[in-house]
Parts: sequence; C-alpha cells; structure tokens
Amino acid sequence: MPAATLASLREEMNDLLNRFWTGTAEPFGLAEWSPPLDVAETDEAIIVDVEVPGIDPATLDISVTGDVLTIRGEKHDQTGQEGRNYHRVERRYGSFTRSLTLPAQVEADKVDAKAHFGVLSIRLPKKDAARLRKVEIKAD
Amino acid sequence: MTKTNEIPVAAQRRAGEPPESYFVPATDIYETADELVITADLPGIKPEGLSVTVEDNVLEIRGTLGAKAESPGEMLLQEFATGEFYRAFQLPADFDTDKIQAALKQGVLTVRLPKSERLRPRRIEVKIE
Repeated sequence: MPAATLASLREEMNDLLNRFWTGTAEPFGLAEWSPPLDVAETDEAIIVDVEVPGIDPATLDISVTGDVLTIRGEKHDQTGQEGRNYHRVERRYGSFTRSLTLPAQVEADKVDAKAHFGVLSIRLPKKDAARLRKVEIKAD
Repeated sequence: MTKTNEIPVAAQRRAGEPPESYFVPATDIYETADELVITADLPGIKPEGLSVTVEDNVLEIRGTLGAKAESPGEMLLQEFATGEFYRAFQLPADFDTDKIQAALKQGVLTVRLPKSERLRPRRIEVKIE
C-alpha cells in the first residue's frame, strides 16, 4: 500500500509538471508556482507540511473535499514597489494552488493547521476505519 | 567509554569557504536611496540555525535545516530541501557594516545594509541666474 501511494503521488507530480510545461496549468498566461510539500503518514494521521515563506498564514485557504486536500494562497509581489531598484529576483510570487490525493480517509472536521517559521503544517487525523489495526494471532 | 563532544561542522570551517554540499536559497536583492536589501526564502529555518556574516565586503548567509524534531512517521513525499545552505554576495564598498540589520520573519530573512553617506543620492540644485 505505501509503495502504491508513493507511485500515485509521483504520478500526480509528473502530471503537474507536464501540465506546467504544456501550459495548461496557466489559463491566463500567469505562471503559477507550487510550493514544496512534505507528506508523512503515521498510524493516526497524515501530516502535510508546505513551504510558505513570506505568506501571512491567515490568508491561506485549506480545504478537504473527499480525499483531496487543497491549499491555496498568494505571495504578494512586492517587486513593483516604488523606490526599489531590483538587482535580482529569484523568489517566486503570485498565487498558487496545490492539491493532493490523501492516502487514507480523514476526519475533515478535525483537521488542524499551524504555521511556524514559514512552514505550514497540516495534521489530518485518519478516520477510524483507515487506522492501522493490529490483529492478534491466537496460538493454541 | 566517554562520549566525545561533537563540534558543529560549520564551526570547523574557515569563514568564506562554502560547505561541501549545500542548497541555495532563492534571494531577491534591491536597492533604495538609503539601503541595499537582501531577502531570502528560508522556510523552516530558526534563528539558531542561521548565520549572517560580513567579512571583507562579502556577505555570507549560511546554516543548516535539520530534520524535523519529532518523527513524522513514514515519509510519502519529500520536496523540502534539507541540510546545509549557503549563499555569498560580494558587496560594493562603502557600506556601513556596523549598521547591518538582519531579521527573520515568516521564513524570510531580510538583511538591510545602510548606504554610507557618500553613496546616497544627492540632489543638486540648479541655480537659475
């Protein structure tokens, strides 16, 4: 199961990259960016960490629909501010949407998110049915 | 057996020398009339894991982004850059290095280098005769 999950995540990534390169992910010609994710699974929960440096956590939008987690946000472009003469712009600005198919069913109303040092950490508790249960083997 | 005290690797190296392997944080540089400002995305980096130095007009940003404190279980996807990071910039002369300020907010490092009096733009009044 974990191997399959990893494969599906990778597929999703590839899809995303393909869409990016073919341009279909940019409906209005605005290059969207997507922040890096770390995804971990424990017995009780799925933990998704997102790099959101320079974004006010209060402006982030997190939603869970079925088994899809979506994170939306915007990093305000300050490069146009008056009086600033830019020598180098490497940081990415603009809005982003990142969706992820979760590897287990989660309790959507018990999702907890907090931001710390530019990293958003989302904890999605698994539904009881999705939790790992150890089956004891009875020996005679 | 006594355990030897581990010295952080970064401390053993001479300043001005990049680590053997490192990642490069995305950086913006802009100038205003009064200062040069360098901003770098450093998500997840805490002040204790970061060092900003200026020596011989070279500004160095370096540090380590360690693994997460608590074991998060099985990693399914790992896109965060981890390990050591390093960035160095040659600064033009005439910065007031004593007045350099660095701040970390929401994962963004901002280094402000005030220009010395000589570098500031001066308005020259044209006298009308």
